[in-house]
Amino acid sequence: MSTPAALFANITQNTQIAPDIYLMEIEAEIAEAAQPGQFLHIRCSDTFAPLLRRPISISDADKKTGKVEIIYRVIGQGTHLLCQKRPGDRLDIIGPLGRGFPMPEEGKTSIIIGGGIGVAPLLYLAKQIAKDHKNGHLPLTFLGFATKQEAFGIDFLSSLGIKATICTDDGTLGYKGFPTTLFKEHLNQYQDKSNLIIYACGPKPLLSSIKDIAAGEHITAYLSLEERMACGVGACLGCSVKSSQAGYKKVCKDGPVFEAGEIELE
Amino acid sequence: MTDNTDLTVNIAGIKMQNPVMVASGTFGFGNEYKNFYDINKLGALVTKGLTLMPKAGNPPPRIHETPAGVLNSVGLENPGVEQFIAKEWPCLSKLKIPVIANISGDTVEDYYKIAKQLSTLENLAALEVNISCPNVEKGGLAFGQEPESASEVIKAVREATRLPIIAKLSPNVSHIQKIAEAVVSAGADAISLINTLLGMAIDIHSMGPVFCRKFAGLSGPAVKPVALRMVWEVYEAVSVPIIGMGGITTWQDAVEFILAGATAVAVGTANFVNPIAPIEIIEGLKTYLYLKETNLHDLIGAAH
Ligand SMILES: Cc1cc2nc3c(=O)[nH]c(=O)nc-3n(C[C@H](O)[C@H](O)[C@H](O)COP(=O)(O)OP(=O)(O)OC[C@H]3O[C@@H](n4cnc5c(N)ncnc54)[C@H](O)[C@@H]3O)c2cc1C
Ligand SMILES: Cc1cc2nc3c(=O)[nH]c(=O)nc-3n(C[C@H](O)[C@H](O)[C@H](O)COP(=O)(O)O)c2cc1C
Ligand code: FES
Repeated sequence: MSTPAALFANITQNTQIAPDIYLMEIEAEIAEAAQPGQFLHIRCSDTFAPLLRRPISISDADKKTGKVEIIYRVIGQGTHLLCQKRPGDRLDIIGPLGRGFPMPEEGKTSIIIGGGIGVAPLLYLAKQIAKDHKNGHLPLTFLGFATKQEAFGIDFLSSLGIKATICTDDGTLGYKGFPTTLFKEHLNQYQDKSNLIIYACGPKPLLSSIKDIAAGEHITAYLSLEERMACGVGACLGCSVKSSQAGYKKVCKDGPVFEAGEIELE
Repeated sequence: MTDNTDLTVNIAGIKMQNPVMVASGTFGFGNEYKNFYDINKLGALVTKGLTLMPKAGNPPPRIHETPAGVLNSVGLENPGVEQFIAKEWPCLSKLKIPVIANISGDTVEDYYKIAKQLSTLENLAALEVNISCPNVEKGGLAFGQEPESASEVIKAVREATRLPIIAKLSPNVSHIQKIAEAVVSAGADAISLINTLLGMAIDIHSMGPVFCRKFAGLSGPAVKPVALRMVWEVYEAVSVPIIGMGGITTWQDAVEFILAGATAVAVGTANFVNPIAPIEIIEGLKTYLYLKETNLHDLIGAAH
């Protein structure tokens, strides 16, 4: 695991890509170390409003250019302040934090399933899998959004040669329904499912459903979880998720990516 | 220039290179913040609260942000004293700064036993006794809420150990001075305060409490004025050294606590916001003393 740093990064871009959804690009040395699934802990305000940092996943990183990207939805005070920042402003970050997605073993077929803002970390994952996979297997992706307007990341994926299967809750883009439903249908075409590996991020119901499917079909699945965080580094024990053994795991340090069997989702 | 400033303090025999410590439960066992600075620069490190047996802690959510504050309901999750000694102590004992073990219990006997076990550790600098825990045998009222039960706990720990004892007071009382006097007569060598203030939050969507345990502990800048007032009161009541904490985020906050009567200060919630806050506070203190042409010892309680 890479060593996190606390630093001020230069913001090079902060643009709206969908209603209430922004893409921010920063310049930071951590681009080198950042793994898919890891996150940044961002101080959105110079004051105590809000006091705590906000965890946001890394949606892309480029070692060569030294750029890191995040995609975030404006839902409260912290993310509202974030979307007001301009290129040239500095961003107070700690990162890269947490354990990200393990890369698939040689020869495995990766299936990526995301819902809403949960698609963000999966974009970087898809890029790394497409890049690293020597035998040319591109990941299969199933992405769900509430409506056409809120969809993002599709162009990014197609620029990598990855075709995304899109669905929306209202049917305004792609299939009408949930990505989990499509994924379940898709699974039927495999005789041997032992070669599959699943990666998912999104709302709790999506993750629970993937966890159930993976357990039923004996497929390895990695889920990226969310929990309210204070320190983000494993010191406060604030971000607990129930372990399938005894006790709790820390989302910030043991995760945010967990093997589905490691944790209980209520 | 300012590098020559003498920041050393001695609290009940605990020799610290500066008066800035980190507060229990906000710094784990010291591993996490090593990435951000050399933690040997701190005045002292206080461990996460330890109990006799391992504790799983409370179900999520455990954290809820409030204006300039944080409510936490971690529930003293910790590996238990045995695992602490086996797994955490080898690394902690190599630090060059004093390490203080924070202890909690459900019963007076728990406190005695855990103190006894920790006393075997060479190099452990002191015990900080968290008396904000519910007294299981007395219907769950916290030990620290009444002078009698607070005193009982400290007496038991005094019997169990020759290590310096820091009694960590709960702010959830109406007469903090009475508790302070009680723990000092029971044998406490120093007092630290404040622990978190009891608070709560209600989720207006589910229309129920945010936390499973209903009430949670409030910390952060929001509690600073309360903490400062209590340090002031305790300074007037007892003569043992005081470790002040509660919402300290800057060196200016630290100076206020020292002027109110604290010999040392601890940084808690601020670590989450600014991981290098303790270092910035140490540097700020040096500069302040230099510019004021004064020394730390003359500052302690100087506002009275
Ligand atoms: C590891 C991790 C990675 C994340 N990655 C991203 C990302 O890439 N993009 C993105 O947009 N968001 C991401 N999030 C979520 C993001 O951290 C929150 O949306 C953000 O903290 C909200 O801050 P705010 O101040 O804007 O809203 P707040 O005012 O804090 O919250 C607004 C509302 O949303 C609810 N809420 C906020 N966060 C959570 C949560 N984690 N769980 C349950 N309820 C919540 C609050 O209760 C409140 O009702 C991630 C979270 C985690 C833990
Ligand atoms: C997440 C968290 C965990 C804590 N755990 C403990 C603990 O185990 N034992 C203890 O005595 N105090 C504990 N505290 C209280 C702090 O040590 C400190 O007394 C309090 O937070 C006030 O300081 P602050 O406002 O600087 O955080 C905890 C506080 C927080 C925020
Ligand atoms: S947020 Fe502090 S341990 Fe995870």
